[in-house]
Amino acid sequence: MSPDIRHPHSRPTRTRREFVRDAFCGFGGLAFASMLQEEQARAASPDPLAAKAPHLPAKAKSVIFLFMAGGPSHLETFDPKPLLNQLDGQVRPKEFGEAKYQFVQRDARLLGSKRTFKKYGQAGIDVSDLFPETATCVDDLAIVRSCHGDMVVHSAAQYELFTGRTTPGFPSIGSWVLYGLGSESRSLPSYVVMPDPKGALEAGQPMYANGFLPAIYQPTMFRGGDRPVFNLDLPEGVRPEKRRKTLDLVRDLNRATLDPRDEEFSARINAYDLAFRMQTEAPEVLDLSAEPRETLDLYGIGREPTDDYGRRCLLARKLVEKGVRFVCVVSGGGPGNQQWDAHDDIEENHLRMAATTDRPVAALLKDLKRRGMLDETLVVWGGEFGRSPEAESGKGRDHHNLGFTMWLAGGGIKGGTVVGATDAIGLRAIEKPYHLRDVHTTILNQLGLDQHRLTYPHLGRDERLTFVEGKVIREIV
Amino acid sequence: MLTRRPRPIPSACLVVASIFFACPARGAGPSEAEGDRFFREKIRPVLEASCFGCHSATAARVKGGLLLDSREALLKGGDTGPAVVPGQGAESLLLQAIRHEDGLEMPPGKPKLADPVIADFERWVNLGAPLPGSNQAVPKADEARRHWAFQPVKKATPPSVRDATWVRNPVDAFVLAKLEGRGWKPAPPAGREEWLRRATFDLTGLPPTPEEVEAFVLDNSPDAFERQVDRLLASPRYGERWAQHWLDVIRFAETEGYEYDRPIPDAWRFRDYVIDSLNHDKPFDRFLTEQIAGDEVDPDDPDCRVASTFHRLGPVRRNAGNPEFALSRNEVLTERTDIVGTAILGLTVGCARCHNHKLEPIAQKDYYRLQAYMAATEEDDISLVPPAEKAAWDVASAKSKAALAEITKKVKKATGEKKARLKAEMEALEYAAPTPLPTIAATKNDFDKRTPIHVLKRGVWENKGEAVGPRPPSILVADALPELPADVRDPRTQLARWLVAPENPLTPRVLANRIWQHHFGMGLVKTVNDFGTRGDRPSHPELLDWLAASLVEGGWRLKPIHRMLVLSNAYRQSGHSPIEAEAARDDPEDRLLWHFRRRRLTAEEVRDAMLAVSGRLNLKAGGPSVMVPVDPVLTKLLYKPTQWRPDPSQDEHDRRSIYLLAKRNLRLPFFETFDAPVLLTSCARRESSTHAPQALELLNGKLSNDLAAAFAKRLAHESGGNPGRTVDRAFRLALGRPPTPEETSLSLAFLRDQSPEEFALAVFNLNGFLYVP
Repeated sequence: MSPDIRHPHSRPTRTRREFVRDAFCGFGGLAFASMLQEEQARAASPDPLAAKAPHLPAKAKSVIFLFMAGGPSHLETFDPKPLLNQLDGQVRPKEFGEAKYQFVQRDARLLGSKRTFKKYGQAGIDVSDLFPETATCVDDLAIVRSCHGDMVVHSAAQYELFTGRTTPGFPSIGSWVLYGLGSESRSLPSYVVMPDPKGALEAGQPMYANGFLPAIYQPTMFRGGDRPVFNLDLPEGVRPEKRRKTLDLVRDLNRATLDPRDEEFSARINAYDLAFRMQTEAPEVLDLSAEPRETLDLYGIGREPTDDYGRRCLLARKLVEKGVRFVCVVSGGGPGNQQWDAHDDIEENHLRMAATTDRPVAALLKDLKRRGMLDETLVVWGGEFGRSPEAESGKGRDHHNLGFTMWLAGGGIKGGTVVGATDAIGLRAIEKPYHLRDVHTTILNQLGLDQHRLTYPHLGRDERLTFVEGKVIREIV
Repeated sequence: MLTRRPRPIPSACLVVASIFFACPARGAGPSEAEGDRFFREKIRPVLEASCFGCHSATAARVKGGLLLDSREALLKGGDTGPAVVPGQGAESLLLQAIRHEDGLEMPPGKPKLADPVIADFERWVNLGAPLPGSNQAVPKADEARRHWAFQPVKKATPPSVRDATWVRNPVDAFVLAKLEGRGWKPAPPAGREEWLRRATFDLTGLPPTPEEVEAFVLDNSPDAFERQVDRLLASPRYGERWAQHWLDVIRFAETEGYEYDRPIPDAWRFRDYVIDSLNHDKPFDRFLTEQIAGDEVDPDDPDCRVASTFHRLGPVRRNAGNPEFALSRNEVLTERTDIVGTAILGLTVGCARCHNHKLEPIAQKDYYRLQAYMAATEEDDISLVPPAEKAAWDVASAKSKAALAEITKKVKKATGEKKARLKAEMEALEYAAPTPLPTIAATKNDFDKRTPIHVLKRGVWENKGEAVGPRPPSILVADALPELPADVRDPRTQLARWLVAPENPLTPRVLANRIWQHHFGMGLVKTVNDFGTRGDRPSHPELLDWLAASLVEGGWRLKPIHRMLVLSNAYRQSGHSPIEAEAARDDPEDRLLWHFRRRRLTAEEVRDAMLAVSGRLNLKAGGPSVMVPVDPVLTKLLYKPTQWRPDPSQDEHDRRSIYLLAKRNLRLPFFETFDAPVLLTSCARRESSTHAPQALELLNGKLSNDLAAAFAKRLAHESGGNPGRTVDRAFRLALGRPPTPEETSLSLAFLRDQSPEEFALAVFNLNGFLYVP
């Protein structure tokens, strides 16, 4: 596939000078410090969540990942294939090669798309009629039509999308980013996942988790409703003034025996101050009731089917505004058809799923832009894979990892661009193929993080998000 | 750990590995003798003093992948291109680096090497860079054989020390000798209250009761300490505490992970087996053998069958309409192989799955030979009920499954209210499904289904290379040792036999180091799961070997080792030392043990201690694991929310943490917040982080508030409502000591206008409660 493939644990070296520096000192140039120590050294404070300077000049400060769980079809959204419509009902011509699916068999018939595409924006980019609102933002989007991953089943593909590995137990990108950059908001959790209230995903909780990174980098899972954070509320019947006194007692008793040089215990005392601050300041940010009517309308809040995803997108904006580093807003949860997992009927499923997300997604982009936040906020849209050109059970599509579409916007990304291409039936990424780890590398790059320096020792290896090594999608940065 | 990686990797990238194992011809150069002598006299000492710290097989961490300890490595360089070009001294990158040309500065952070030395290097390169001893067959392996961890265990005589009065047992001699070498003195002894709190948490995971503390403080008998240690080691709580350490290492969980996260049938039997084995001080070689090969060595012993659950504990991806069974089988074998390397040998063998290990002397072939021991290993669910009952259950279960399948279809098609109703019906059916029968999740050999083991190119299951049979890693056995036949009838017995054989130094060393780590907070080798050339080097190599040898001599029993360590003066040290200013600067990690390391309680200990202190702890031991109520947002994240079924009895919720269900896709937030492991990969050592969500959990969480109320009730009862006695009792229960006058007055002032529940909650949030001194 890609010609630019290297050894799992090495990277290309560009100049002789770099070679020598790397060969002798590792990637950072700090000869005797392990990379972990380097990571710690970047932080000015012993607090592992303190904001750290990035490795490289950064374009983005925060990431909002709009995770379309279950795998949205590229063929129905951003990657029109006229030939597929012509071949509708036929067996895939041999010249397109082989593909392994989860369910559909070799004798499956190609399925044309019923969607119509129109050209939008100054660049005249194709977007289907599933996303009329998102289409109006196309000049801000960099659409990567040549994404590919390694796995064709949900759980493993979701692990790869979030952690760069196809098995559970590795840190998610949100945890890595938090580890790399620390937090700019001390009254809010710094890595937030807002699951779809409709239910679970195949890869479950471990997909978002911190893996072997310290627990401090774990995600905070939001519940639905206006009080989404666990333990942020006082227990029933406890008044804040009363609890403040308890906190004062904790502080006074802890100080009574404190050696002032004791950094760890001092940090513990500070953690309680911070906890109290979170308790008083966070609810204000999390409360949407004070938002202007116009904003609520923009996101489609207060009407169906956009209310839920709209609320979560607006909340994401508010969190990022307060310095939250990584927010994942999940669309899809519960049994397959409640996700973008359109095995039975691509039309029914995608019309429904698109209707719940199109307006909120566009609103998020417009809202970020008008507030001047889009430049520093990287928005990423996509699922764990795309869908098959072949039909499953007549009018559905199976999972498909060999070629699919994701888009990125804001955070220094060149809008109004289309990169890469799948073949004429959308089976395989053939032009400028980009692996999921390349998407990861690009996200890190926009945040000013170098994939080779963002490492953590685990079981004898300096592990990193991109595992084999990814490349930055140069066309869009 | 990894699954397939379908992208090809060009052979050029295996350069470093090939240096280790290939046998390149050496180019013609100047006379061997002259060049070799020049190297030995002029070059090697400089390399050793200034370069090998980062660029040799013995480096703690090789920097930039560049090795300077063999000629081949030198010629190949780190990533691309050579570090030296023989005959071109002036132009070689190595020379540029040591000359500090073009911004390259080697050795870094140190003064430039003297000009005559640089001139020697140039001359040496011009001589063809001879590096004697590096051009024999498999040079790397020979060198790696000298790595400390692969040497036979040697039991040295404990060193003599100046202050012999401090030496209570040989452990102290080894520790003190190092301290005296620095001119340091050990810290003064901890107070008796402190020591007992330390030893009680250490050996049982629970706090001492005020009565135990008082009795010990007043005990003037000469063997007062010994009797405490013997009491704690004899307590059933000991096994419950130390089992958790082993369960962490072997990433024990009771469900399979991935989307279905199905239960591993009655996995709690394995947890009980570990607890019982430790409580009975079963010899550890036997304990390992039963886990690796229990079904082979004694198939009629139910304990041995339960022990073989060991191979079932990794995450398992079940096929969901996925035709690639061979891929799944490969994933299972990978899990089973890697955990043996990590948990027992302390070697990251998994790195050799895709290619020869870059930094360890483990060839890819070695990896697959290790895997070959498990080639015939299959799951074996052994039903523990009479066949008739099992048959009846099968019928009922099939019926229930059919009904579920039917309603699932209906749910899929329905909409709106009807859908909600059907969904509720479906959940009711799931709840009503027949409870699984008592089962042992054992393993067995199925030779008819044996997976032929091949070296897999790049670790991809479809790329089969050479076929291999079982054999231990080459670095640890004689070159001439042949592979076992691939179809050997007792493969895992053979593996177990070698794992605990006298000629394998790793197993006892790794074990002794784990024991040390749990008592002292840090291993003698810090990287407890990694004894390879990239791992940490032991702070006290002779002590480590002495402990490993004593362990084996003592019949692989742990309790005598615990006893010796806990009774040592090294363990009895206070956390504060008069030489702290100097020692903390020179040895900030306390590798030399100039004081005792304080530690935060683990997640399980915090919970268990709150239960114990509040008087609610239910000490019922063993049996099926308990589910406690959790927020619905967590169960909603499960593929089947009905998998989570909280026990109706509050008493059950109050059991020790080790008896709560370890479910891969639903970790309890309390545990997560306090650094409990992910249950997916081996956890060698618990992190101890400090962050605001911990404070929120302890202040606002349901568990701490419920238990604070119980604690307050207990205090009211035991103090008769007297505030002074309440405060005193609270500190003695929760912190193992009476309050200081300042603590008393602060507490009394609080209690004048605040509730006892809030006071009790505050006590749970004190550093003195959350830490062991």
